[in-house]
Amino acid sequence: MLRTSTAIFALALCGAVSANAQTQTLVINSFGGVYEQTHRKCIIEPFEKATGASVKVVTAYSADAFAQLRAQKAAPQFDILHFSGGQEIVGATEGLLAPIDAAKIPALADVYDIAKKNVAKGEGPAYQIAAIGLIVNTKSLPTAPTSWNDILDPKLGEHTALTDMSNSYGMLAFLMLNQVRGGTLDNIQPGLDAVKAMLKAGATVMKTSPEIQQAFAQGEAWVAPYASDYAFTLKKANMPAKFVQGKEGTPASFITVNVVAGRPNTDLAHKFVNQTMTAEAQACFAEGMRYSPTNSKAKVSDEVAADIAYGEKAIAGMIRFDPPTIEKNRAAWVDAWNKAIAK
Amino acid sequence: MRGVMTDRSENSLLLLPGLALLILGFLLPIIRMLALGVAGPDGLTMSVYAKVLGDSFYLGIFWRTIKLSALITLVCALLGVPLAYIIARSGPRLRFWLLVIVVLPLMTSVVIRTFGWMVMLGRSGIIPVGLRDLGVTSRAVSLMHTETAIVLGLAQVLLPFMVLSVLGVILRIDRRLEEAARTMGASFFGTLRHVVVPLAMPGIVAGSLLCFTLSASSFVTPSLLGGSRIQVLAASIYAAVTQTLDWPFAAAQAGVLFAGIALVLIPYLRLSGASRG
Repeated sequence: MLRTSTAIFALALCGAVSANAQTQTLVINSFGGVYEQTHRKCIIEPFEKATGASVKVVTAYSADAFAQLRAQKAAPQFDILHFSGGQEIVGATEGLLAPIDAAKIPALADVYDIAKKNVAKGEGPAYQIAAIGLIVNTKSLPTAPTSWNDILDPKLGEHTALTDMSNSYGMLAFLMLNQVRGGTLDNIQPGLDAVKAMLKAGATVMKTSPEIQQAFAQGEAWVAPYASDYAFTLKKANMPAKFVQGKEGTPASFITVNVVAGRPNTDLAHKFVNQTMTAEAQACFAEGMRYSPTNSKAKVSDEVAADIAYGEKAIAGMIRFDPPTIEKNRAAWVDAWNKAIAK
Repeated sequence: MRGVMTDRSENSLLLLPGLALLILGFLLPIIRMLALGVAGPDGLTMSVYAKVLGDSFYLGIFWRTIKLSALITLVCALLGVPLAYIIARSGPRLRFWLLVIVVLPLMTSVVIRTFGWMVMLGRSGIIPVGLRDLGVTSRAVSLMHTETAIVLGLAQVLLPFMVLSVLGVILRIDRRLEEAARTMGASFFGTLRHVVVPLAMPGIVAGSLLCFTLSASSFVTPSLLGGSRIQVLAASIYAAVTQTLDWPFAAAQAGVLFAGIALVLIPYLRLSGASRG
């Protein structure tokens, strides 16, 4: 008995070792929670099935993942990194990300140009876009606002929920408001003045997304400048929430997939990027999370399309505030913002 | 050979692990942090500190932090000392359950408890609605994003530290002292004032120190309940470290907080030491 079990154990050990030698592994990051579940279902599992490779997922948000990438410069531990805050631009400049060979990514052919501008430089393509607009409580506001200027209406008073600049969606919404009020990336004063006026009328400033959810659930918030995916989160929680794009434009937060430089299995990594960029993967993600697909062939149902910025024209018309400029000014802007909103 | 090792050297050997941990885990990081705040591109500079201390906005944040921490400590003491006395003087069964009730909140994460307060303090939460129904306010006013919310939330989080510090001391007070005071004609409250509270002072001081330093350095509860418009220093430091990545500025703010707490605590320790001696 003892001998048999030892034999089985030895056999299993051999099997494990040889299997390990054969399977290739990719180490990637994802953003946790429902996002990561959807990521697994739409991209990771189909990829593993198609290639036989195994994928190890580490939960790390963009800023953390980027900090790790920088720290591990001499010996990178990730093969693929996903970013949502424009980190790929800095990463490519610093040589931390590998240039992507478009010839190895057939799915890129169908991807909108705006989403794959600098792949040869190492800035990974955007596989989905979070659109920033207005989340509206349709029960309290039957006639939904159509313009960014509408949220300045003092009658909305305490029912406007702004988001703090520490939040990346909050930053983009503020920059849009600033632009609508006549400001630029060199001058954010018009935006700050608008925010001060709204606060004076009673608007609140939220710090985290759960706070926005709570403010909607308690009927305190009627309109909040935020992202399309979060409007869906509220809808799923049975709240009368709707996503509206302001007529002056829709800021975009690009979520990109990047190949890390200096790793041995770049070919497999390219295959993973290709899987991410396919129409099927992106349609699946849009279905699950309500982000805008960047593959022109990604087909979504009318119900999903109504919740997001969808189609070539909508995507081409999106505004991308220059991430390096945001990075350069962040400290000064946050300081000015904090002083403007302080009680 | 064993005789060579005196009691004293054995004692210092025992001291070593703790000392090493203190130096590696506290002293060195603190020195590095303080250095970060004064290291400029060309040698020492006070410019970062000047930015913190010369800006009325950051001075305001500092003052609010000290003020709220003192208030929270006071609330904890006013609630915690009587509670500790009741626990100390109740029977073993009741004492056990009271202790469980005091300690139980420590087993839930601070974030969860803070979210609980957020639900209760929001406009349709139980507290604003209750105040309206009682006629205290004419309509339900959200208490979220106010200094009151920070005081409530942190006092609840920190109360166990006060109760446990005071309880340990009260349990050691000889009950015959209270009996003696009562037989000599002191009223119940007179006994508390002249016998129990003075003898419990070391516990009250220890508890106050814990409450004050913990509330001055906490950032989760203040930033969730106070919101971005009412900042405290620890939240401002956290933001400088994680968002704007301005570590020298964070270090300077931490240096100011460190000095501020020391300035408040050292006279307090002296004073309470003198009152005991």
